Amino acid sequence: MSDEVSPAEAAQALADIQLRQQQVIDLATIPAWYWWAVGALMVVLGVGVDSHSPVAIGLTVPVFVVGILAATGWVFGRAFRHAQLRNGLLDGRAVVSILGFVALIDLATIGLAFGLRAAGVGHPATLACVVGGLVMGAGGPVLMRRLRAIMLSNRTGVAR
Amino acid sequence: MTVPRFDELIHSPTRLAIVSLLAASEWADFSYIRDTVELSDSALSKQLTTLEQAGYAEIRKGFIGKRPRTSARLTIQGRAAFEQHVAALQQIVVRSGATILPAG
Repeated sequence: MSDEVSPAEAAQALADIQLRQQQVIDLATIPAWYWWAVGALMVVLGVGVDSHSPVAIGLTVPVFVVGILAATGWVFGRAFRHAQLRNGLLDGRAVVSILGFVALIDLATIGLAFGLRAAGVGHPATLACVVGGLVMGAGGPVLMRRLRAIMLSNRTGVAR
Repeated sequence: MTVPRFDELIHSPTRLAIVSLLAASEWADFSYIRDTVELSDSALSKQLTTLEQAGYAEIRKGFIGKRPRTSARLTIQGRAAFEQHVAALQQIVVRSGATILPAG
């Protein structure tokens, strides 16, 4: 049977295989609005912390937690209803990318907040969360593009 | 290293599409496969049953709340057969002197 398959047919079949796998990978793409929403929620939390008011903290913390859970549940629930990505699509490069992104966010928010407070700048948590939120909103889609490229390179049949 | 082995059962265009989707997944929902491959319920059931009988796919039926949910996944044997089939296709292309598909 394989003798009856022309190179053009085989190449077309390989292209179809790549496309179908890409469709599953694209399911897991986190939309850009998610990263900006998380960034905005960080700023809400920062405002609450800077207020030093138990009432404000009591309001902003639940907004942050519920907002994160709702956004994350919506994004991941949508993807998981359809399919769960094969574990092997994400490798060590993906882990390094994710950890690097988390470290960057931590540095941009917690590190900056402590630095600003030590320097005597007013509203350090709010300012740090604005910076962290901007990094989150701008960097999240970059991280997703990186992860998507890694997953595409790990599809079955991709020349390495 | 994967040994190339052309698989007639997988090579059928509809089954190739289904198996390719499953190859990128741990499992995939029946309705997702049906909508993506553009098949009717009965046509997809038939194809999945063929794959299941060959030992290539596993079909799971369950409930989420009160709603029935069917999902499918490739078995280890199915994944190996798919990888061997892809290697066979690549071999056909390479032997013709053409370059293999670009990465990514």
